[in-house]
Amino acid sequence: MTAMQWFFSFLKKYRFRIIIALFFVTISCLLAIVNPYISGIIVDDVIRNGQYDLLWKLVVVFISTTLLRALSRYTYLYILEDSSQKMLYSMRDNVFRCIMAKDFNFYNKNRTGDLMSRQIGDMDAIRHFVAFVIYSIYENSLLLIIALVMMFTVDWRLAICMIAVLPITVVIAAKQLKAIKPSFKRIRDTFSSLNTFVQENVSGYRVVRAFAKEDYETEKFNKVNDEFRRVQLESTKDWRRYIPIFEFMASFLTVILYLVGGLMVIKNAMSLGQLVQLSGYLWMLNQPLRMAGWLANDYQRFVTSVEKIYSTVSVEPDIKEPLYPVNTERMYGDICFHHVNYNLDDDVILKDININIKRGETIGIIGATGSGKSTLMNLLCRFYDVSDGEITIDGVDVRKYDLFRLRDNIGMAMQDVFLFSDTIEGNIAYGKPDCTFEEVKHAAKMADADGFINAMPEGYDTIVGERGMGLSGGQKQRISLARALLKNPAIVILDDTTSAVDMETETHIQESLSSFTKWSSTREEGRHTVFIIAHRISSIKDADQILVLDNGCLIEHGTHDDLIAMNGYYATVFNHQYGEFDEIDKIRQKGGRANG
Amino acid sequence: MARNKYDVDETLDSEFNVAHLKRLLLYIRPHRKDMLLTIIIMLISSALGMTTPIILKMIMDDFLPNDSNNNTGNIPGLLIAIGVMLVINLIIVVILRVKITVTAKLGQNIIHEIRSDIFGHIQKLPFSYFDERPHGKIQVRVVNYVNSLSDLLSNGIVNTITDLFSLFFIIGFMLSLNVRLTLVCLAGIPLLGLLIFVIKKKQRVAWQISSNKSSNLNAYIAESINGIRVTQSFVRERENIRIFNTLSSNYSVAWMRAVKLNFLLWPAIDNISTWTMCAIYVLGVQWISGNAEGITIGVVIAIISYIGRFWAPINTLASFYNSLLTAMSYLERIFETIDEPVNVKDMEGAVEMPPIRGEVEFKDVVFSYDGTVNVLNHVSFKVAQGDTYAIVGPTGAGKSTIINLISRFYNLTEGELLIDGIDINTVTIHSLRKQMGVMLQDSFIFSGTIMENIRYGNMTASDEEVIAAAKAVCAHSFIMNLENGYQTEVNERGSRLSAGQRQLISFARALLADPRILILDEATSSIDTETEILLQQGLARLLQNRTSFIIAHRLSTIKNADCIMYVDGGKIQEKGNHDELMELRGRYYELYMSQYDFLDKKKQG
Repeated sequence: MTAMQWFFSFLKKYRFRIIIALFFVTISCLLAIVNPYISGIIVDDVIRNGQYDLLWKLVVVFISTTLLRALSRYTYLYILEDSSQKMLYSMRDNVFRCIMAKDFNFYNKNRTGDLMSRQIGDMDAIRHFVAFVIYSIYENSLLLIIALVMMFTVDWRLAICMIAVLPITVVIAAKQLKAIKPSFKRIRDTFSSLNTFVQENVSGYRVVRAFAKEDYETEKFNKVNDEFRRVQLESTKDWRRYIPIFEFMASFLTVILYLVGGLMVIKNAMSLGQLVQLSGYLWMLNQPLRMAGWLANDYQRFVTSVEKIYSTVSVEPDIKEPLYPVNTERMYGDICFHHVNYNLDDDVILKDININIKRGETIGIIGATGSGKSTLMNLLCRFYDVSDGEITIDGVDVRKYDLFRLRDNIGMAMQDVFLFSDTIEGNIAYGKPDCTFEEVKHAAKMADADGFINAMPEGYDTIVGERGMGLSGGQKQRISLARALLKNPAIVILDDTTSAVDMETETHIQESLSSFTKWSSTREEGRHTVFIIAHRISSIKDADQILVLDNGCLIEHGTHDDLIAMNGYYATVFNHQYGEFDEIDKIRQKGGRANG
Repeated sequence: MARNKYDVDETLDSEFNVAHLKRLLLYIRPHRKDMLLTIIIMLISSALGMTTPIILKMIMDDFLPNDSNNNTGNIPGLLIAIGVMLVINLIIVVILRVKITVTAKLGQNIIHEIRSDIFGHIQKLPFSYFDERPHGKIQVRVVNYVNSLSDLLSNGIVNTITDLFSLFFIIGFMLSLNVRLTLVCLAGIPLLGLLIFVIKKKQRVAWQISSNKSSNLNAYIAESINGIRVTQSFVRERENIRIFNTLSSNYSVAWMRAVKLNFLLWPAIDNISTWTMCAIYVLGVQWISGNAEGITIGVVIAIISYIGRFWAPINTLASFYNSLLTAMSYLERIFETIDEPVNVKDMEGAVEMPPIRGEVEFKDVVFSYDGTVNVLNHVSFKVAQGDTYAIVGPTGAGKSTIINLISRFYNLTEGELLIDGIDINTVTIHSLRKQMGVMLQDSFIFSGTIMENIRYGNMTASDEEVIAAAKAVCAHSFIMNLENGYQTEVNERGSRLSAGQRQLISFARALLADPRILILDEATSSIDTETEILLQQGLARLLQNRTSFIIAHRLSTIKNADCIMYVDGGKIQEKGNHDELMELRGRYYELYMSQYDFLDKKKQG
């Protein structure tokens, strides 16, 4: 499918409406030709020749044709604008759906500002095309054809002289279309850059302020802003060569008519009356010629935007829905990583990972920054696909599940907490928008968030800023945790979810997490398989299996006691964090802290 | 806390008024020469345009054979007339070319300036401005709203002024022909005025709603893209598409409502002009037959032939009026942003902060975000030069607030904050923050290379210095493992970087700034213990003689601090070094010991 075919697939639905609109354009166009005649008759017959009895009739006709013209014009403008809005609605829907369905790799490569430009700026060029350019091209062609037909009926020789101008116009228009295309594309690209720059500046405002880089940002912005002006003016340079040519061609027609026509009148090859009649049609030729250059601009702008949007939409995702998806509503959570490898470009991210997990187990994952912990989880959710090997849930390869079903069975609290500018309630209920308030509250309690939420003036109705601005790191993490727990999924992934909460809070969370697994184990859906990625030993110590990742490899694997006995990476980390345990005992003995 | 979200329309504090228009003119002022030039040449062009009918009349009357002159035609005369017409048309075309060039420049320059102003102002706005609304709504003002003004401000104004001139010219000319008939013609104007008066209010409201809806849609798109990972992992796509479509449809409906009103104007003018023409026919005929003074057949015909020229500029004026009303809904938003008060700003006579030694003192500091609830209650403490201060306490205790005040991200409500004995309110914000290295909870990565991201801390740093900073925070090895090393492209969502790696990069960025005061707010929460230990060893050297503040939940990170403050309820509850606080057996002790509770459980169990 080409970009244009893609566009027409949307326009197709409105073709009848557009044809009806063009019918009204035709009426309005014909009336525009009729009206000057009526006023001509009034001037000639009524005023000059004194046939006053005709006056009232003509005035009534005149007023009603104008009214009719106004009505038909309003009608077609309305129909076209309405169709363009309806079309745009389904187009926006389609683009949004496509963007929502893109995989992480797509988002790694595309900047937010660019993607936004597709939905806002480019859409407007399309709206303009459907609502204005289409009928303008039709109207002007119609005028041109009517004028030429009329001219032929009056004098074919003169008409041919006038037609001779047209091929030249077509050639120039074609040249213009070609010449302006690159600069229009540059405008769209620069617009995207501008959008991206502003978007990042606004999103990163804290960093900008913290580093006192306002001046630098402004300077950098000025460059983008200058560049935007520059490409705009450059594009003006491209098309301003053509617009005056069309303008000149339009007036040149008058010259031809009077020169050739005049000579013919003098040579008695044509009557003066005929010349006068022909000059009455001139405006019908002039207007299309004048408009040609502008319409060529509009058309090219539209084509550029369609191509831009389509190039975004048509990117094939790496993550594909299986042809015959397995549609398991509730999974049990037996998970197996079988010789899993994952490479990104040329970098090896994960190497030969083998793990067997039984339903209801809690898996702790620890390892150095960038060792592949989050990637392992992303593979499980199919945000990326394994390069080699397979991951199965309940014995079925994750690539065979219906993608939505798969992810619906997994609740993930991400390392990088993203909250939406919505109420706290809306954020917690994100994965289950139709849940009750009690469910939200219950989830918040489990995440030890109920307390601080209630302490806020508006409680659960408090609107949090984008990315959770205004909340502390620990608060955000707890909301994100509540969000994951609310879904009550078969598999729960907590990716570094408690790094910014204090120890006491973490203890509370752990207690409620263990009650969470118990709480649902009484239900028929079975127990939860829980993954906990953490840096604090305390977060993962009680896990049924602890995985230690290093540089993409699974280097240690076992329970806390196994790993301590192994005296490897895990034991080292443990010692670093709790090396002074003996000392703690001393402190405790010294003081009389009531404990156990 | 935020007040606005994607589906809440923004209310407007100040209505659009004449002052806004005057302000707009201020932007045009520097370009008045260009504008004047364009208007003059356009007037010349339209004057030249009026010669064409005269020449054509001459050809018809004098050079071609007709009933009245009985000649056989004047070929040389015809050729000369045609030649003159050609020349005039050429001049008009050249003028058009100049006009296109100048107005394009004009329009682009003006929106360039408006955009600079609004962007520059946004750089001064406090945190609260950004926390309160979706970022997409701020962005749409700077980019899309400003863009939509370009045509209005260049072509719109030039055409309007030119048309006004030709309108007055035509009216004058018609008056000279016949006053009574001209007045009949002008009688259409109040009718038009009445219509405009009736629909104006509706149009204004309709366009305001429409711009609000487009802003909502924009905000939602921005958030949907930024939050895509969460959306996909929560399988919320369908629900989001539903919300998106609601917003999208709201925008369409609002747009249609506004545009429907705009469409009214043109047919109205067309009809009114027809009515006045008919009135002139009817009255003209009566006055001719009644032998009214000064009204002859010729005069009536002449007036009628000028009516077209009278209504054409009115038509353009009306379309300008329409786009002005549309633009107003954008302009008022733009000006609203530019007028947004800057709370944290340099006081008058603020001086440059001299090189900071690093003595920080809070004197009875009270702080409240909203003016009602005090987040900090009479906090006083003094940090000696070169000391490391750690702040601990439960979430929401006011830890981040304390360090945000040091950088003067907010103004104190009461009390004083002194650095090296200088009240920070008396120095310029830029000179103050320039000397601080702040690493915030959210590590933000700009799109660009890793090298550029680290260099953000100090633009003049050489590649070697950037690499040295990366080495100091233990980021060098992972960066070198990436395919393109320091030249690897990353973006704000930190593509392919783990959260810990992003923290290391922003750490390197903070370090490269060579700050006198280093502030680390949960800077290492996502970094593994091993790296953190290496990091601390590397930092120990760097932190010498630098005052630093650390907020961390991993107590091993802060144990060695010179002083630890336990903050709760906006007050310092305990203060001292690790050993002292452990001796105290208070809140810190409990917090510290709670780390080991789980070990106990194991023992007991």
